[in-house]
Amino acid sequence: MLDYDVVIVGAGFGGPVAAKKCAEAGLRTLMLERSQRVGEKVISGLTIPFYGFLFAPAFIRDGNPPIERPVDGIINYIIKDVESGDIDVDESLRVPKPFSPVIAFGYNAYCQPFCQWEAEKALEAGAELRTSITVVDVLRENGRIAGVRTDSGEDIRARIVIDAEGSQGLLAIKAGVREKYPPEAISLADIYDYEIDKDELDMLMGHTLRFCWGWDEQKLAPPLGQGNGLMVWPYRGSIHFMQDQCLRLASGDVPNLKKLFREYHDNITTKLPWWRDEIAPRIKLRARMWESFEIYVGLDRELREMPNHTDGMILIGDAAGLESTELCDGVPAAWFSADIAADVAIEALRAGDTSREFLARYDERIRDHPIIQWSITASNRFNLRFAQEHHDLEEFKRYVHDGWGLGGFSHVSTPLVQSILRALAEDPTIITAWIRMFFRYYFNWIYERYDYSGGKELPARDTAARPRAAQTVFRGALGAADTMLRAFSPALKGAASLAEPLSRFANPAMQAMLPLLEAAVRGMVKMERFTGLVSDKIVDFVRRADPATFDPPRRKGS
Amino acid sequence: MAQTYEELPGVEWVEGAGDFVQVIAENCDGCANCVRVCLGDCFEITDRKARVKSLEKCMECASCWYVCAAGAISFSWPPGGKGFRTDWG
Repeated sequence: MLDYDVVIVGAGFGGPVAAKKCAEAGLRTLMLERSQRVGEKVISGLTIPFYGFLFAPAFIRDGNPPIERPVDGIINYIIKDVESGDIDVDESLRVPKPFSPVIAFGYNAYCQPFCQWEAEKALEAGAELRTSITVVDVLRENGRIAGVRTDSGEDIRARIVIDAEGSQGLLAIKAGVREKYPPEAISLADIYDYEIDKDELDMLMGHTLRFCWGWDEQKLAPPLGQGNGLMVWPYRGSIHFMQDQCLRLASGDVPNLKKLFREYHDNITTKLPWWRDEIAPRIKLRARMWESFEIYVGLDRELREMPNHTDGMILIGDAAGLESTELCDGVPAAWFSADIAADVAIEALRAGDTSREFLARYDERIRDHPIIQWSITASNRFNLRFAQEHHDLEEFKRYVHDGWGLGGFSHVSTPLVQSILRALAEDPTIITAWIRMFFRYYFNWIYERYDYSGGKELPARDTAARPRAAQTVFRGALGAADTMLRAFSPALKGAASLAEPLSRFANPAMQAMLPLLEAAVRGMVKMERFTGLVSDKIVDFVRRADPATFDPPRRKGS
Repeated sequence: MAQTYEELPGVEWVEGAGDFVQVIAENCDGCANCVRVCLGDCFEITDRKARVKSLEKCMECASCWYVCAAGAISFSWPPGGKGFRTDWG
């Protein structure tokens, strides 16, 4: 029988993060993946928000993962009457120029290459991977989880099992840790992948996501608050189109999704002016897929408080019900929880104690994670159903503004500030790591330079055209900043720790200052005729630069 | 061998997935919830009971399993390397 320290079930977004950290700690680590190739059963319409990358494990932040397009904002269409074209627009959430597009709000990505990139990093760290293996059950020994059984009848022993199998959580149910979710907590997403010429897409959508919300009677999208309206993601030379609907509605009915999704798709693609006139003539359908995800698990206290561990086993990511209730993103929480799970697994194995009492610290850390907790309890999306119930347009617009507009900062500021202060308390030089990350990711996006087996060679470029002076200034400024941050590190760490409790005032302060912030962003957008020139200069600098300019300092000379 | 369907481009089904979704007939009350949510058209109702018509377009989302209040649907993952695959998720 095979024997490992850690067996990780599932190599999606979370599994490889846990695997890499465990392997680096010297633990014998194995990932088991049921698909033939990592990531080919992972489906999403995917923007990984900036906070995912900022607080992600260092190898992601300082690395070169495959991304499809940086995102600089969301345009929300609030459809009152599509026939007459009566549509309000909320495009308040955007990174204004000159920061955009290099400083991004998030990064769109295809799941397969991204998961593969992560898995390759775990393999480089010494973890093992076996694909085409389905785990069918856990092994039990003296009342604790002692490994897993595969579909070929093979038993693989593990001192700790990390369950990263995704939202259905079949293994966790078998292990007696969790229960099947009720259908109103699950949403089924209907996804189309369309090819489009990149230059045309650059012009038509640029770096913005488009979210479309409509009154129920418009029949363009799932009922408000019980799924998502049309969400459109621009990738490199393609578009992802997604609508999703809860499997049971507040009325108690299970909807006829086969019929409804067709109706929504037909209505919105033929009636929504910008899709019908600008996008539809230029696209070619490449793929049609669907997936289910745990949209509202975090909003139900009983479900939220189900344990995420038992003797010898820890659950991460979607398997732990950590899908964001508002932005629909599961990747940041998968990364954060995988990182915490690896820490706890390492501590447990060093202490020789994998009991549920010891592993309880995992659930405590998940509950103490500001971003995870905010993301699984934010309720603007759920609340849209009340706007429909009252048929109150102002209420409708307020939820959209607070969920996917600038109003979001009145409830994300506290967890964000708290996370920033915690990160600074650990290492103040993270600030320059973040800046380098945005520039490096933008460079990588231009040249598709991703460091894994699916990456492309950097094309031969004219080194004489390198912006040498600007490179020197960039390197010099960040180098000086690093020196300063290191010199004052103890003071900065102390100040960040002391200031952490103050983060709770960030939300109310932002609430009070929101009108000012909105005015400032509007003002910056008005200035874009001028700031756009600066933005163009920055993009040109990144395009011509030596990529080493944006590498983390530790890589220099290596 | 992998199967493809014109109406579902971009996805392949590796053969040999077996009966990973099953209806336990004695538990089924014929409510047809599984038929309503399945985008792969995998179920049908015959003699007031659901039955799996075909899993050839199943994308393993488990929606049928979630909506079955009678506990008549057993859902497991297909064997390793079988079932659907896509590059465009």
